[in-house]
Amino acid sequence: MSFTQQKEDKEIEEALVRDLQAGDVEAYDKIAELYQKKIYALSFNLLRNQMDAQDVTQEVLLTLFRKINTFQGKSAFSSWVYRITLNSSYMKLRSKKKEPNVSIDELLPSFNSAGFQQEKIQDWSENTESLLFDNETREVINKAVGLLPEKEKVVFLLRDVEGLSTEKVGEILDLTIPAVKSRLHRARLFLRKKLSGYFEEYNSQKGDI
Amino acid sequence: MICCKECIDLLYDYIEGSLSQDTSKSLEEHFEECPPCIAFLNTYKSTTTLCRETLNQIKIPDEVRHTLQSFLKEQKKQKEKK
Repeated sequence: MSFTQQKEDKEIEEALVRDLQAGDVEAYDKIAELYQKKIYALSFNLLRNQMDAQDVTQEVLLTLFRKINTFQGKSAFSSWVYRITLNSSYMKLRSKKKEPNVSIDELLPSFNSAGFQQEKIQDWSENTESLLFDNETREVINKAVGLLPEKEKVVFLLRDVEGLSTEKVGEILDLTIPAVKSRLHRARLFLRKKLSGYFEEYNSQKGDI
Repeated sequence: MICCKECIDLLYDYIEGSLSQDTSKSLEEHFEECPPCIAFLNTYKSTTTLCRETLNQIKIPDEVRHTLQSFLKEQKKQKEKK
Protein backbone atom coordinates (compact mmCIF):
# COMPACT_ATOMS: atom_id res chain seq x y z
CA MET A 1 0.00 0.00 0.00
CA SER A 2 1.38 3.42 -0.92
CA PHE A 3 1.94 6.15 1.61
CA THR A 4 -0.78 8.39 0.12
CA GLN A 5 -3.23 5.49 0.15
CA GLN A 6 -2.45 4.84 3.81
CA LYS A 7 -2.94 8.51 4.60
CA GLU A 8 -6.27 8.59 2.77
CA ASP A 9 -7.46 5.47 4.57
CA LYS A 10 -6.54 7.02 7.88
CA GLU A 11 -8.49 10.19 7.07
CA ILE A 12 -11.54 8.17 5.99
CA GLU A 13 -11.35 6.18 9.22
CA GLU A 14 -11.07 9.27 11.37
CA ALA A 15 -14.02 10.96 9.67
CA LEU A 16 -16.07 7.81 10.12
CA VAL A 17 -15.29 7.62 13.81
CA ARG A 18 -16.29 11.28 14.25
CA ASP A 19 -19.60 10.66 12.43
CA LEU A 20 -20.33 7.61 14.53
CA GLN A 21 -19.49 9.34 17.76
CA ALA A 22 -21.77 12.21 16.74
CA GLY A 23 -24.58 9.67 16.39
CA ASP A 24 -24.81 9.72 12.59
CA VAL A 25 -26.80 6.63 11.65
CA GLU A 26 -25.63 6.68 8.04
CA ALA A 27 -22.14 5.89 9.32
CA TYR A 28 -23.43 2.37 10.15
CA ASP A 29 -23.59 1.50 6.47
CA LYS A 30 -20.16 2.94 5.80
CA ILE A 31 -18.65 0.96 8.66
CA ALA A 32 -20.29 -2.22 7.43
CA GLU A 33 -19.14 -1.57 3.89
CA LEU A 34 -15.56 -0.96 4.97
CA TYR A 35 -15.12 -3.67 7.56
CA GLN A 36 -17.64 -6.47 7.32
CA LYS A 37 -15.65 -8.48 4.80
CA LYS A 38 -12.49 -8.22 6.90
CA ILE A 39 -14.38 -9.10 10.08
CA TYR A 40 -16.12 -12.02 8.42
CA ALA A 41 -12.97 -13.39 6.75
CA LEU A 42 -10.85 -13.22 9.90
CA SER A 43 -13.50 -14.80 12.09
CA PHE A 44 -14.22 -17.44 9.46
CA ASN A 45 -10.53 -18.33 9.23
CA LEU A 46 -10.41 -18.71 13.00
CA LEU A 47 -13.72 -20.53 13.43
CA ARG A 48 -14.13 -22.38 10.10
CA ASN A 49 -17.88 -22.16 10.33
CA GLN A 50 -20.26 -19.88 8.42
CA MET A 51 -22.88 -19.47 11.16
CA ASP A 52 -20.26 -18.72 13.81
CA ALA A 53 -18.53 -16.20 11.57
CA GLN A 54 -21.89 -14.54 10.86
CA ASP A 55 -22.63 -14.31 14.60
CA VAL A 56 -19.22 -12.83 15.27
CA THR A 57 -19.59 -10.28 12.44
CA GLN A 58 -22.95 -9.12 13.85
CA GLU A 59 -21.58 -8.95 17.34
CA VAL A 60 -18.56 -6.95 16.25
CA LEU A 61 -20.64 -4.47 14.24
CA LEU A 62 -22.93 -4.05 17.22
CA THR A 63 -19.99 -3.45 19.55
CA LEU A 64 -18.60 -0.86 17.12
CA PHE A 65 -21.91 1.04 17.14
CA ARG A 66 -22.53 0.81 20.86
CA LYS A 67 -19.03 1.28 22.19
CA ILE A 68 -17.79 3.88 19.75
CA ASN A 69 -17.59 6.43 22.55
CA THR A 70 -15.12 4.26 24.43
CA PHE A 71 -12.75 4.36 21.45
CA GLN A 72 -10.13 6.91 22.41
CA GLY A 73 -8.00 6.93 19.31
CA LYS A 74 -4.87 5.72 21.05
CA SER A 75 -4.43 3.13 18.32
CA ALA A 76 -5.79 3.09 14.78
CA PHE A 77 -9.54 2.49 14.50
CA SER A 78 -8.91 -0.57 12.32
CA SER A 79 -6.68 -2.05 15.05
CA TRP A 80 -9.57 -1.63 17.45
CA VAL A 81 -11.89 -3.39 14.99
CA TYR A 82 -9.45 -6.30 14.61
CA ARG A 83 -9.07 -6.59 18.39
CA ILE A 84 -12.82 -6.73 18.95
CA THR A 85 -13.08 -9.32 16.16
CA LEU A 86 -10.40 -11.47 17.77
CA ASN A 87 -11.98 -11.25 21.23
CA SER A 88 -15.36 -12.12 19.91
CA SER A 89 -13.96 -15.05 17.87
CA TYR A 90 -12.06 -16.39 20.87
CA MET A 91 -15.18 -16.22 23.04
CA LYS A 92 -16.96 -18.29 20.42
CA LEU A 93 -14.06 -20.74 20.19
CA ARG A 94 -13.97 -21.27 23.94
CA SER A 95 -17.64 -22.15 24.00
CA LYS A 96 -16.92 -25.02 21.59
CA LYS A 97 -15.22 -28.30 22.15
CA LYS A 98 -11.48 -27.85 22.05
CA GLU A 99 -9.41 -29.63 19.46
CA PRO A 100 -6.28 -31.23 20.88
CA ASN A 101 -3.31 -28.92 20.56
CA VAL A 102 -0.52 -29.89 18.19
CA SER A 103 2.98 -29.14 19.33
CA ILE A 104 4.59 -26.82 16.86
CA ASP A 105 8.11 -27.83 17.88
CA GLU A 106 7.77 -31.32 16.47
CA LEU A 107 7.24 -29.84 13.05
CA LEU A 108 10.12 -27.40 13.06
CA PRO A 109 13.21 -28.32 11.02
CA SER A 110 15.77 -30.55 12.70
CA PHE A 111 19.53 -30.27 12.39
CA ASN A 112 22.52 -32.44 13.20
CA SER A 113 25.24 -31.30 15.60
CA ALA A 114 27.07 -29.51 12.79
CA GLY A 115 23.93 -27.51 12.01
CA PHE A 116 23.07 -29.29 8.75
CA GLN A 117 19.52 -30.20 7.85
CA GLN A 118 18.68 -33.74 8.80
CA GLU A 119 15.77 -34.44 6.54
CA LYS A 120 15.69 -34.62 2.80
CA ILE A 121 14.25 -31.39 1.42
CA GLN A 122 12.35 -31.58 -1.85
CA ASP A 123 11.59 -28.49 -3.85
CA TRP A 124 7.90 -28.74 -4.64
CA SER A 125 7.49 -24.99 -5.15
CA GLU A 126 7.22 -25.10 -8.94
CA ASN A 127 3.80 -25.38 -10.55
CA THR A 128 1.92 -25.23 -7.28
CA GLU A 129 0.04 -22.16 -8.54
CA SER A 130 -1.92 -24.37 -10.90
CA LEU A 131 -3.18 -26.37 -7.92
CA LEU A 132 -4.56 -23.32 -6.16
CA PHE A 133 -8.13 -23.79 -7.27
CA ASP A 134 -8.06 -27.50 -6.73
CA ASN A 135 -10.49 -28.52 -3.97
CA GLU A 136 -8.14 -31.06 -2.44
CA THR A 137 -5.30 -28.54 -2.21
CA ARG A 138 -7.61 -25.99 -0.62
CA GLU A 139 -8.74 -28.57 1.88
CA VAL A 140 -5.15 -29.49 2.77
CA ILE A 141 -4.20 -25.83 3.24
CA ASN A 142 -7.28 -25.04 5.36
CA LYS A 143 -6.63 -28.05 7.51
CA ALA A 144 -2.96 -27.17 7.99
CA VAL A 145 -3.83 -23.61 9.04
CA GLY A 146 -6.52 -25.01 11.31
CA LEU A 147 -3.88 -27.07 13.11
CA LEU A 148 -1.71 -24.07 13.93
CA PRO A 149 -1.69 -23.21 17.64
CA GLU A 150 -3.77 -20.07 18.36
CA LYS A 151 -0.84 -17.78 19.12
CA GLU A 152 0.87 -18.50 15.82
CA LYS A 153 -2.35 -18.72 13.84
CA VAL A 154 -3.56 -15.23 14.66
CA VAL A 155 -0.23 -13.66 13.72
CA PHE A 156 -0.20 -15.62 10.47
CA LEU A 157 -3.77 -14.58 9.58
CA LEU A 158 -3.20 -10.90 10.28
CA ARG A 159 0.25 -10.59 8.72
CA ASP A 160 0.38 -13.05 5.84
CA VAL A 161 -3.30 -13.40 4.94
CA GLU A 162 -4.65 -9.91 5.73
CA GLY A 163 -1.34 -8.37 4.67
CA LEU A 164 -1.05 -6.02 7.66
CA SER A 165 2.38 -4.66 8.58
CA THR A 166 4.44 -6.23 11.35
CA GLU A 167 4.04 -3.01 13.37
CA LYS A 168 0.26 -3.06 13.02
CA VAL A 169 0.04 -6.71 14.06
CA GLY A 170 2.15 -5.83 17.10
CA GLU A 171 -0.25 -3.01 17.95
CA ILE A 172 -3.34 -5.21 17.61
CA LEU A 173 -1.95 -8.08 19.66
CA ASP A 174 0.12 -5.98 22.02
CA LEU A 175 3.31 -7.80 21.01
CA THR A 176 6.82 -6.56 20.34
CA ILE A 177 8.06 -6.62 16.74
CA PRO A 178 10.53 -9.49 17.44
CA ALA A 179 7.70 -11.50 19.01
CA VAL A 180 5.51 -10.99 15.92
CA LYS A 181 8.37 -12.00 13.63
CA SER A 182 9.23 -15.07 15.65
CA ARG A 183 5.62 -16.32 15.78
CA LEU A 184 5.15 -15.70 12.09
CA HIS A 185 8.36 -17.55 11.21
CA ARG A 186 7.29 -20.51 13.36
CA ALA A 187 3.86 -20.50 11.71
CA ARG A 188 5.40 -20.52 8.24
CA LEU A 189 7.79 -23.34 9.17
CA PHE A 190 4.92 -25.38 10.57
CA LEU A 191 2.78 -24.82 7.47
CA ARG A 192 5.68 -25.52 5.11
CA LYS A 193 6.21 -28.86 6.79
CA LYS A 194 2.51 -29.72 6.63
CA LEU A 195 2.23 -28.76 2.97
CA SER A 196 5.49 -30.55 2.11
CA GLY A 197 3.93 -33.89 3.01
CA TYR A 198 1.10 -33.27 0.59
CA PHE A 199 3.01 -31.76 -2.33
CA GLU A 200 5.85 -34.28 -2.19
CA GLU A 201 3.35 -37.08 -2.42
CA TYR A 202 1.50 -35.28 -5.19
CA ASN A 203 4.71 -34.87 -7.20
CA SER A 204 5.81 -38.47 -6.72
CA GLN A 205 2.39 -39.72 -7.88
CA LYS A 206 2.60 -37.50 -10.92
CA GLY A 207 6.05 -38.94 -11.60
CA ASP A 208 4.64 -42.47 -11.55
CA ILE A 209 2.17 -41.87 -14.34
CA MET B 1 30.47 -19.95 6.58
CA ILE B 2 26.97 -20.22 8.03
CA CYS B 3 25.22 -23.56 8.58
CA CYS B 4 21.71 -24.67 7.57
CA LYS B 5 20.29 -23.90 10.99
CA GLU B 6 21.48 -20.30 10.88
CA CYS B 7 20.31 -20.08 7.29
CA ILE B 8 16.76 -21.06 8.22
CA ASP B 9 16.75 -18.72 11.20
CA LEU B 10 17.64 -15.89 8.83
CA LEU B 11 15.07 -16.71 6.13
CA TYR B 12 12.39 -14.40 7.50
CA ASP B 13 14.62 -11.32 7.49
CA TYR B 14 16.19 -12.34 4.19
CA ILE B 15 12.81 -12.35 2.46
CA GLU B 16 11.87 -9.04 4.10
CA GLY B 17 15.15 -7.63 2.84
CA SER B 18 16.12 -6.52 6.33
CA LEU B 19 19.48 -8.31 6.64
CA SER B 20 22.74 -6.39 6.54
CA GLN B 21 24.66 -6.63 3.27
CA ASP B 22 27.30 -8.87 4.84
CA THR B 23 24.83 -11.33 6.33
CA SER B 24 22.88 -11.40 3.09
CA LYS B 25 26.07 -12.19 1.22
CA SER B 26 27.06 -15.06 3.50
CA LEU B 27 23.54 -16.43 3.24
CA GLU B 28 23.72 -16.35 -0.54
CA GLU B 29 27.10 -18.10 -0.40
CA HIS B 30 25.46 -20.80 1.68
CA PHE B 31 22.66 -21.16 -0.89
CA GLU B 32 25.19 -21.63 -3.67
CA GLU B 33 26.59 -24.67 -1.93
CA CYS B 34 23.45 -26.06 -0.39
CA PRO B 35 20.60 -27.13 -2.72
CA PRO B 36 18.45 -28.36 0.22
CA CYS B 37 18.42 -24.84 1.65
CA ILE B 38 17.41 -23.40 -1.72
CA ALA B 39 14.60 -25.94 -1.82
CA PHE B 40 13.69 -24.87 1.69
CA LEU B 41 13.70 -21.18 0.74
CA ASN B 42 11.52 -21.80 -2.32
CA THR B 43 9.00 -23.93 -0.48
CA TYR B 44 8.95 -21.51 2.49
CA LYS B 45 8.02 -18.70 0.08
CA SER B 46 5.48 -20.87 -1.76
CA THR B 47 3.82 -21.82 1.51
CA THR B 48 3.05 -18.19 2.29
CA THR B 49 1.73 -17.50 -1.21
CA LEU B 50 -0.41 -20.64 -1.34
CA CYS B 51 -1.93 -20.06 2.07
CA ARG B 52 -2.61 -16.40 1.40
CA GLU B 53 -4.26 -17.05 -1.96
CA THR B 54 -6.37 -19.85 -0.53
CA LEU B 55 -7.51 -18.10 2.62
CA ASN B 56 -8.20 -14.85 0.80
CA GLN B 57 -10.75 -16.56 -1.42
CA ILE B 58 -13.26 -16.24 1.40
CA LYS B 59 -16.28 -14.19 0.43
CA ILE B 60 -19.32 -13.38 2.48
CA PRO B 61 -22.01 -15.85 1.32
CA ASP B 62 -25.20 -14.20 -0.04
CA GLU B 63 -27.40 -15.42 2.79
CA VAL B 64 -24.98 -14.03 5.38
CA ARG B 65 -24.85 -10.72 3.49
CA HIS B 66 -28.66 -10.52 3.55
CA THR B 67 -28.78 -11.29 7.26
CA LEU B 68 -26.21 -8.60 7.94
CA GLN B 69 -28.17 -6.10 5.82
CA SER B 70 -31.39 -6.64 7.73
CA PHE B 71 -29.45 -6.57 10.98
CA LEU B 72 -28.03 -3.15 10.04
CA LYS B 73 -31.46 -1.85 9.04
CA GLU B 74 -32.84 -2.96 12.39
CA GLN B 75 -30.01 -1.30 14.28
CA LYS B 76 -30.50 1.96 12.41
CA LYS B 77 -34.24 1.90 13.13
CA GLN B 78 -33.63 1.35 16.84
CA LYS B 79 -31.09 4.14 16.94
CA GLU B 80 -33.40 6.58 15.15
CA LYS B 81 -36.23 5.82 17.60
CA LYS B 82 -34.12 6.89 20.53
